[in-house]
Amino acid sequence: MDLQYKEGINNGRIGGVKRTDLALRLLALVLTLTAAVVLGVNKQTTTVAITLSPSLPPVKLPVTAKWHYMSAFVYFVIVNAVACAYTALSLVLTLATKGGKKNVSSMVVIFDLLMVVLLFSAIGATGAVGLIGYEGNSHVEWQKVCHVLDKFCHRVMTAMGLSFIGSVAYLLLIVFAVINAYKRL
Amino acid sequence: MASSDAQEAPLKSSTYEPEYKSSFGLVVDVALRVLLFATALAAIIVMVTSEQTKMIPVAPGKLMPRTAKFNHSPAFIYFVAALSVAGLYSIITGALSALALLKSHGHSTKLQAHFVMFDALLLGIVAAATGAAGGVAYIGLKGNSHSNWNKICHIYGSYCFHFSASLILSLISSITLLLLVWLSVYVLSKKVARR
Repeated sequence: MDLQYKEGINNGRIGGVKRTDLALRLLALVLTLTAAVVLGVNKQTTTVAITLSPSLPPVKLPVTAKWHYMSAFVYFVIVNAVACAYTALSLVLTLATKGGKKNVSSMVVIFDLLMVVLLFSAIGATGAVGLIGYEGNSHVEWQKVCHVLDKFCHRVMTAMGLSFIGSVAYLLLIVFAVINAYKRL
Repeated sequence: MASSDAQEAPLKSSTYEPEYKSSFGLVVDVALRVLLFATALAAIIVMVTSEQTKMIPVAPGKLMPRTAKFNHSPAFIYFVAALSVAGLYSIITGALSALALLKSHGHSTKLQAHFVMFDALLLGIVAAATGAAGGVAYIGLKGNSHSNWNKICHIYGSYCFHFSASLILSLISSITLLLLVWLSVYVLSKKVARR
């Protein structure tokens, strides 16, 4: 069964690592990096017109939104940065050992699963906070903010969508690792 | 038994595996699924019974009763839904694993492969539910001055207490699911190494 690893390119592998594995890791790397960057540079300044009394013209107040105002967004950026760094490391490791070392591939599967958990929880948190910003919550008097800060909210949604596809890529990595192991049995 | 298996051509994964004599993996599997069911059920019950009514001063001198329930926020509704799916899934797979434990030949590999895939998927769903409820509960605890979202936990103490308890329970269920997938990967690597 070790011979299968050393056959190399003819088996659907590049340098000993399966093509789908490599493609999914590259996709996850690019997507988590993009999601972290999109939310990490997210800020918007607009003005809100407030009418203090009917006789005076409306007063324009500046409203600023930066990404680090919300702890959920900070958590999202940190988790995506960690996932991106881990993907780069695991890419380097799997290419360097040519998929041959059992310990390395087991550790990679274990940490892949941890990344799935962290990424999904970050997406859940950002989604929940974004939903409050979008719809507000009348029961606890939390006002919605997305009708004013629309570009900010659109960027949050974009980052969330990118990170979601990246975390699905991680999930598929685990599923493929398990399927390949069962095929070898 | 093992020698006659080696003489046949290696069949695809729909056959039973008579060499899988060690049932340690299956015992831990069933135990973890029972734990998952218990924590998911407990988290749902604690969250659903968290309703609290307090008198809030809406205008100076006027008090009105205001209720806080779990279904005021869509994140908590998703939390309850995801954990009920996890509880139902753990009943089905726990029963199947216990059945496999009682029989002598253990799991069929095809079934075990499906278990692992659904475990991983459910792990993602439960982790997202934990994250969502955690995010909203954190805002409820600390408030957010930049967007004028006031904290509510200093008023609704028992509501917030129910929340943190059910969050901790759902964290335990996602860790249990994580351990289940890790266990399956470990058992699998042992099987591959034994071949």
